[in-house]
Amino acid sequence: MSAPGTGSPWDVMPKHLGPWPSPEDREFWEGAGRGELRIQRCGACRLHQHYARLLCSHCGSLDVDWVTASGEGTVHSFTVVRQHGVPPFPDCVPFVVALVELSERGARVLAAMPTVSPDAVAIGMPVRATFRGAHDPQLGFVDFDAARPDART
Amino acid sequence: MTRRVCVVGVGWSDGPVTPDMTGLMLEAQAFQRAVADAGLTKADVEGLASAGYGGMHEVMLAEYLGIAPQWLESTSCGGSSFELHAMHAWRAIEAGDVDTVAIVYGNNQLSASGRTLGTGGGGGRGVLPHPMGYELPTGLTLVGAYAMAAQRHMYEYGTTPEQLASIAVQIREHAVRNPNAMYRDPITVDDVLESKLVADPLHKLDCCVISDGGCCIVLTTEERARELPHRPVYVRGAAAAMTHHSVHSMPDLTRSAGAVCGPKAFAQAGITAADVDTFQMYDSFTYTVLVCLEDLGFAPKGEGGAFAADGNLRLDGALPTNTDGGGLSATHPGMRGLFLLCEATRQLRGEAGDAQVPDAEIAVAHGSGGWLSTMGTVVLGTEPLR
Repeated sequence: MSAPGTGSPWDVMPKHLGPWPSPEDREFWEGAGRGELRIQRCGACRLHQHYARLLCSHCGSLDVDWVTASGEGTVHSFTVVRQHGVPPFPDCVPFVVALVELSERGARVLAAMPTVSPDAVAIGMPVRATFRGAHDPQLGFVDFDAARPDART
Repeated sequence: MTRRVCVVGVGWSDGPVTPDMTGLMLEAQAFQRAVADAGLTKADVEGLASAGYGGMHEVMLAEYLGIAPQWLESTSCGGSSFELHAMHAWRAIEAGDVDTVAIVYGNNQLSASGRTLGTGGGGGRGVLPHPMGYELPTGLTLVGAYAMAAQRHMYEYGTTPEQLASIAVQIREHAVRNPNAMYRDPITVDDVLESKLVADPLHKLDCCVISDGGCCIVLTTEERARELPHRPVYVRGAAAAMTHHSVHSMPDLTRSAGAVCGPKAFAQAGITAADVDTFQMYDSFTYTVLVCLEDLGFAPKGEGGAFAADGNLRLDGALPTNTDGGGLSATHPGMRGLFLLCEATRQLRGEAGDAQVPDAEIAVAHGSGGWLSTMGTVVLGTEPLR
């Protein structure tokens, strides 16, 4: 969790950007509030999924349960957002957004990587989940950071 | 005997900048011009298809136009909606459910909302619709979603920013010939690469324009078409497919739904990629064109960049593409899918003036909607499928 009062624009997400938990995905957002990456695992095909669903998006089974992911993964792809029209993001540019392939098979997570330099990010880079507070102290956002701090720049 | 289906009317509204017109005015103007072009009156229009950004759009439009359609179609799957409208209208006319259908689109996107659609604007400030609640807080933009897919293609296949830029350069060459295009000055690959990076690897000139504008096509039976003024343009095949809604769920960032609906539509039409005389491709971004060149079979997977950079999209190239200047240079009022069908019709009628592809007999319109999410392919020809 990033320390409050650090002055990062990422720490002042306006309320309309959520999270707005539903009965289906409250576990994900509350997990992030506790510092855990919660995803679903299918008891039938053993694959994982993110975001939460009533059924397994891989095989269709209803036997899906929450698990805590390791938080480890690799960058499947990324972009560097350099132009954004909606607060707080104009104060954040340039920043990296990545599609992360989790080490738990079947699940990908789209996340910001505020601590990783646009010059340092690369496809295949090992990353790990970090967590950031939201307007509701019980909830949080999931970000990703370089797995090795010296890979941030 | 199967009823054959033809495009018999085509019309464009004023554009690309119309600060004194609402979206409905643009739609009505395009509708009026297309119906007149077809040699029909609005009372002949029995079916209406349209898509806007809210529900019941086609119903509101019918009331505005003062028509009472017996067949309505409002598939709303983003920019490709209109290829799906054409597909559904084709089958409905073929089946005898309806004889004459108008497909209409118009929007004053530029004048009403400015240029922020691709960079975070355009969304509401209410509760986020599922599954965008997972995307918008990351700061990913619409441009960024396409950029992420392009980045993966570069990683897997060695595609270069120069190859992507060559697509914008060639389509601009066509806009130079279109007096209604938004941007008409020729550009070079260096111009694209030196324009501002919006979301790596996409530069400003890799992105479509935001404009105002509208257009309309009218379809009817071959039998009816024989009595009308223009040479009929036949619908020979049409298919649709989707892979995901939001880009985080795109199964393969380097392969679009065009790999499914393109070959399916070609098979229905009795053609192969080599038979296509002109390609009207939804160029929301240069990458959209590149990946679909591969997925529709114009180039092998991974070689779309080289195919484009070789100049094949030019008027004198192997596959003249976006001969009106496309979304990249001519017009893109929020959604572009219907403009593809209009330009394909213009080419097959031989009415494209300076941008005419000589002896064009087969034109393909390929729409893309959402975040490379939904696609629709329509094959049009000067002759029916035998």
